[in-house]
Amino acid sequence: MNAPQTRSFMPTLRLAIRVVLAGIFVIAGAAKAYDPAGFAIEIQRYQLVPWLIGALGATYLPWLEMIAGAMLFVGRLKRGALLILTVLLGLFTWALASAMVRGLGIDCGCFGKTFEATGTFVPFLRNIFLLACAAVLWSEH
Amino acid sequence: MNAVRQAALILVAALIPALLTGAFHHDRPNWSEPIAPGEERLETILSWGQSVIWVDARPEKEYADAHVPDAIRLTLEDWDTLFPHFLDRWDQKKKVVVYCSSTSCQLSREVAERLEQNGIPSVYVLHGGWETWKAQGGGVKR
Repeated sequence: MNAPQTRSFMPTLRLAIRVVLAGIFVIAGAAKAYDPAGFAIEIQRYQLVPWLIGALGATYLPWLEMIAGAMLFVGRLKRGALLILTVLLGLFTWALASAMVRGLGIDCGCFGKTFEATGTFVPFLRNIFLLACAAVLWSEH
Repeated sequence: MNAVRQAALILVAALIPALLTGAFHHDRPNWSEPIAPGEERLETILSWGQSVIWVDARPEKEYADAHVPDAIRLTLEDWDTLFPHFLDRWDQKKKVVVYCSSTSCQLSREVAERLEQNGIPSVYVLHGGWETWKAQGGGVKR
């Protein structure tokens, strides 16, 4: 592919990535915001933070995901939204890796109870892919 | 506006619905950790006073390092050897409280179930296990 074609392809690719990344976080946030009590239990299963921290996170994180996802989608406060989603992805990926290393047979809990249980390995790979997507968006700035 | 300032705005904006969720959502989380059926909090157990028999379900090395004063060691692994010792000390009028290392361990639950299967009434599991006992300043015997 020559240089002009690459230049015209990249904006379309970035737009597609932006929509997909934003959509995933809005859906994931909405699913968890619907059942914060259930999400608090999912957080507790990772055995990383005391119950109260997990419960506070369960009420806050879903809204943070939704708002940051929505901002990324509409293109307002885009870099800030991308920063938050990248940090969240990093945090979630580290938590999944930690659960795998400790041999916890838990489910990701990434989408609340909206989808079937997928364990931790598949979500871990998905998050790595999403981090790569976020890196493509950062390359714009 | 740079990315960090934008992110700070979003972080603050998310606080508003989060606070409303915490205050009014019909499925908001409990702020204190829920406990499973059959478990009891340490405060409750301490309120029972002297009418408690403590059972330590942890591995031998951990028991040897430190344990709740007067706790009897009892594990599924060495059940046949240890259960008769438990029976020697068991008093029907007392409650039996089993503990293992922490909230995540299953040994205390398994031993509690086995005790119940053997006809021992009033068996409870200490919520949070040995970690909770230590954290709340319970006495330690080495």
